[in-house]
Amino acid sequence: MDQNRQGARASYIALSIFVALWILVPSAVRRFNREAFVEFQAPALHLVGKSRDMATFWEKKSRSVEEMTAAGRDLARINAALEIKINALEDIRRENVRLREITRYNVPAEYMSVVARVATRDSSSWWQRIVIRKGRNDGIRPGAPVVFGNTVVGRVTAVHLTTSEVDLVTSPGFRCTAYLEGDDQNHIVLVNGVASNSLGTAKARVSVIPRDYSMPAGQPARVFTTGMGGVFPSRLVIGYLDGGTYATQVGSFKESLLIPSRDLYNLQEVSVLVPLHQNPGEALMQGDQFQ
Amino acid sequence: MGWAWLILLLATYPWLLGADLASDTLASSSLVFFISGTCLIAPCRRLKRWQAILFAACLGFLFEARRPIPDGALALSLVAASIFLSSNRQLLRNTPGMLWAAAIVNMGACLIWFVASLYVSPASSGDLIGHLLVQLLLAGVVGSVALVPIALTQNATLDRLSIPPAPDTP
Amino acid sequence: MKESSDTRVLPSTPVERLRLYGVFFFFFAGFVYVIGGLAFRQLIQSSDLKEQSDTQSRRVVLRPPARGRIYDRNGFPLVDNRARWSVKADLASLQKEFRGEYLRLVAAEKAREAVSIDREKLMEDARVRVLQGWLNKVWFVIDETNRNTTKGRKSPAKLTPVTAPAERQINIDELRKHLRERRALPFTLVNDLAFPGTGQALTADDGTKSVARFIEQFPVEGPIRLEQDIVRTYPYGAMAAHVLGYVKDTDALPDNVDDISEVRVESLQKLHYTGKTGAAGIELSYNYVLSGRSGWELWSKTSSGYNQTRLKFSEPAQGGNVMLSIDYRIQQAAESSLAKLKDPQGNLLPAAAVMIDVHTGEMLALASQPSFDPNRLADRVSSKYYDEIDKAGGWLNRATQGLYAPGSTFKVITATAGMRKKVVDWDDVLECGAFFKVGNRDYPEHEPVGFGDVNLDKMLAVSCNVWNYQVGLRTGIEALAAESRRFGLDAPLLQTVSDVETGGQAMTELPFAASRGLVVPDREYKLRIGAGAWNDGDTANLSIGQGYLLTTPLHMACVAASIARGETRTVPSIIHSVERNGRHQGSQPIGLNPNQLEALRGGMVRCVEEGTARVARIPGLPYAGKTGTAEYFKKGEKAHLAWMIGYAPAENPVVAFAVLVEGQVDTNTWGGKTAGPVVKEMLETWWPIAAKANQDEKPKAAR
Repeated sequence: MDQNRQGARASYIALSIFVALWILVPSAVRRFNREAFVEFQAPALHLVGKSRDMATFWEKKSRSVEEMTAAGRDLARINAALEIKINALEDIRRENVRLREITRYNVPAEYMSVVARVATRDSSSWWQRIVIRKGRNDGIRPGAPVVFGNTVVGRVTAVHLTTSEVDLVTSPGFRCTAYLEGDDQNHIVLVNGVASNSLGTAKARVSVIPRDYSMPAGQPARVFTTGMGGVFPSRLVIGYLDGGTYATQVGSFKESLLIPSRDLYNLQEVSVLVPLHQNPGEALMQGDQFQ
Repeated sequence: MGWAWLILLLATYPWLLGADLASDTLASSSLVFFISGTCLIAPCRRLKRWQAILFAACLGFLFEARRPIPDGALALSLVAASIFLSSNRQLLRNTPGMLWAAAIVNMGACLIWFVASLYVSPASSGDLIGHLLVQLLLAGVVGSVALVPIALTQNATLDRLSIPPAPDTP
Repeated sequence: MKESSDTRVLPSTPVERLRLYGVFFFFFAGFVYVIGGLAFRQLIQSSDLKEQSDTQSRRVVLRPPARGRIYDRNGFPLVDNRARWSVKADLASLQKEFRGEYLRLVAAEKAREAVSIDREKLMEDARVRVLQGWLNKVWFVIDETNRNTTKGRKSPAKLTPVTAPAERQINIDELRKHLRERRALPFTLVNDLAFPGTGQALTADDGTKSVARFIEQFPVEGPIRLEQDIVRTYPYGAMAAHVLGYVKDTDALPDNVDDISEVRVESLQKLHYTGKTGAAGIELSYNYVLSGRSGWELWSKTSSGYNQTRLKFSEPAQGGNVMLSIDYRIQQAAESSLAKLKDPQGNLLPAAAVMIDVHTGEMLALASQPSFDPNRLADRVSSKYYDEIDKAGGWLNRATQGLYAPGSTFKVITATAGMRKKVVDWDDVLECGAFFKVGNRDYPEHEPVGFGDVNLDKMLAVSCNVWNYQVGLRTGIEALAAESRRFGLDAPLLQTVSDVETGGQAMTELPFAASRGLVVPDREYKLRIGAGAWNDGDTANLSIGQGYLLTTPLHMACVAASIARGETRTVPSIIHSVERNGRHQGSQPIGLNPNQLEALRGGMVRCVEEGTARVARIPGLPYAGKTGTAEYFKKGEKAHLAWMIGYAPAENPVVAFAVLVEGQVDTNTWGGKTAGPVVKEMLETWWPIAAKANQDEKPKAAR
């Protein structure tokens, strides 16, 4: 018994020494440790994602031929419609280029789009991140915006070899500028994740709304990206403004909650828009990540 | 057997992953199925102390790896718990003891995780206490409920590795 | 307790059990402590604050409110507030970095084997270096020119060139002052992200880009915070700057904070953010209305004096709005036409233009040139800009504060005085030669050959001097001076702000309007200033608006408005109010018979149609005018003031106006020729607006 006790005491002492060392050790060591454990889990995460895909596949496979034919027919129609749209867009694009040349408008950041499947959602006490199955190997860099269709999903916060973590719009580390639908003067407002509404759906906060802003009647006001900050392309939907009840006055501005678009909770696939040129923010991010 | 702890960890990992995936269903309520503490109970009865410590550390780091909390906060707390448990194995002698231990250790670890993530990014407002209490309650309940299947898996693994059973196995 | 280590037994002795319970208790206590602490802070403490008498550990921080808006008469905002984004460093959370840098500096100093180490100095250096590092990062992110240079592996900290402009460097004096006075508040790194430093946007899109870049690219966590507040903005820039005024920093926030005991406790330390107070114009005279209510925050503080937790707060409330009588379109027209008046060197001629509503006295335009851009004064004023304005004479509101001899525009008063004293009638014809002899001095006509037979009508059209010399002398100085006073040339005229709106301080609507400087000369005046006894020459001079007489363009516009109404006094106002009934305090009927009044007005109309103001004729809009060219001395040399007053339209007058231009020594300045085009442009802008307003009015009346 005594020996056991002494062993325990020795272990406690060793632990305290280790804790002290752990605090003093350079942060690179801690970061390496974290990385290692992430990479250890990466295959499992891929496996989860893959098996999910497999489940979907079998679910699809079990559909009847009739159903599939119907779906195929619908798709063909949609394709035809989109084809026409693409042509129209091409015209608009050319016009756009021409106008930009005339006004010498500087060209917005260019992106390389990387499509990634979602592996899992990392639930953390009051916000969530998602893990996607693309990583450094696929050219993903931290800070890159993540979108789904024309909806903003979030931003890449950490990149590992074959997986990356994405902070959702509702996570506290997320911050971007936005325009509100129905604001003709295009005041920029601030969107950042709060997710502090414990036990409820995570939300984001829209602040610095001009006092005289009023929502367009009859529909929830959409919140768009501005495309000014050099991170997000413009006119992507971040979410919807929560109705007047939450619009409170804070100082000289109004504040409201943002309801992220519903897709955010059952994402299967996202696109990461990796900027072709590194922006300053990215350089800063690489300087120090997590303390 | 020296690598018993690692093999045990691999055997336990599916449970951890499963809990993560199950947490997905709770996403809208910001709650998480937390079982890291529970996974510690059975190994602490049978593994050598140093093995239990390694097991606990890895368990903690695995959880921390993808979550924004200060490095090592949870892992080192679990190590402390494992030292305590492996030096007081008499507490884990019977089923009620194990259940209690699972609930308490799991809740304690959950609390530490919660406070640690609060430290990294303070939640500005809201019903924080309520959230914490519900999360702790959930951790306690899930911790003791999940103990049985997890412990069964872990014991089966240890049996395969021919680690001697703990005395007074319930 | 001698047992082998292999066998585990239950703790059987009291000591063992105790130890075990001790461990349990320890865990339990920790648990309770955390939960209890959180619960206490959230649930109990907030309601318990009032009872706490310990004021040492708490302080009140006062936050300035947003000022109210100022609108023109149609509801266009002339003064607004815009969001200002500033970047601040939280000094409390930088403590660790300061310490680290300090130790590094000390080590370096020791390594150099310095004889004595000035630790104070090193600590300051450390602070500056750390803050400079962060400031570099901020600039690194917001400066768009960085975009192409950062493709490589340049580290941001190395990006500051040695000769960085001032706004990219930490101002040591400011930091010292901040640490001395407001240590608890975050230190400002960039005051206005949209216009960092020089008051100029870095990129197009009025600087929103640099704001957006910071928001989206700068790390969210860390000691650098983004704060938003409100800054005064004048969307039309320098337009109506003299009316609107500007704001300046103040440490005295509106002391009308919410009624709570914490704020009122005397011994509680109070800190305040710098607020704004009106410094001129409406911003000053209506400061009380515009100010709003300060907000406050109750903070607990750390032992080193930094803020720790915000315990309670109340948001500031925005000030009330003020609606001016100005119509920004007419104001703009007035200013743009004034801006065309330049001396040969290309400098703007000092000038003023006023347009008032004949009935209500509300001013539709009040322009003074040169002017200033209140936007550039709303924030930190550079002394350079201040001096620039000062040198150009831009601070003076020439319309209400500039004192000038009214010249020939005064002749309408001479004529009125003469007719009221019955020394001349509307149809009397006087013989007017090339000059008029008063005593032994010849008083000249402005036309070398004279005008021959002149009646009232013709006098006003051609602005005959000799007619006025004669009538002036017949009328006498007493009656002339009395008539001038009847028209209010000796009174400030301008409406005063009611006590309620100033918070008990009497003030005219436009602050510091001329009152003491106004001169209506008479015998007593001349004796008082020690210029000897009054003589007929003085009377002759006065009768054509020269000599000692001094008045402002606003006064002359009021004279024109009064004549248009057939009264003697108009009280002008800059505030739009639907309750104005056209009654003016101290006003009397002008005291002329219909024929006389008709002739007086007819002469003014003729002045525009075919007389000295014909350059300003507007086809289809007959209106009344009177020009004037007064002499004055500019640095000892003779120069001319160009005047034009009048009202429009000729029938059923609606607006009255006055324009004054200060000619320079080397400029060819002449009443109608110089001031006329300004009048023309103002009226041409006003006319369609009035017509449209009339149209809108009619269906309403028909209903």
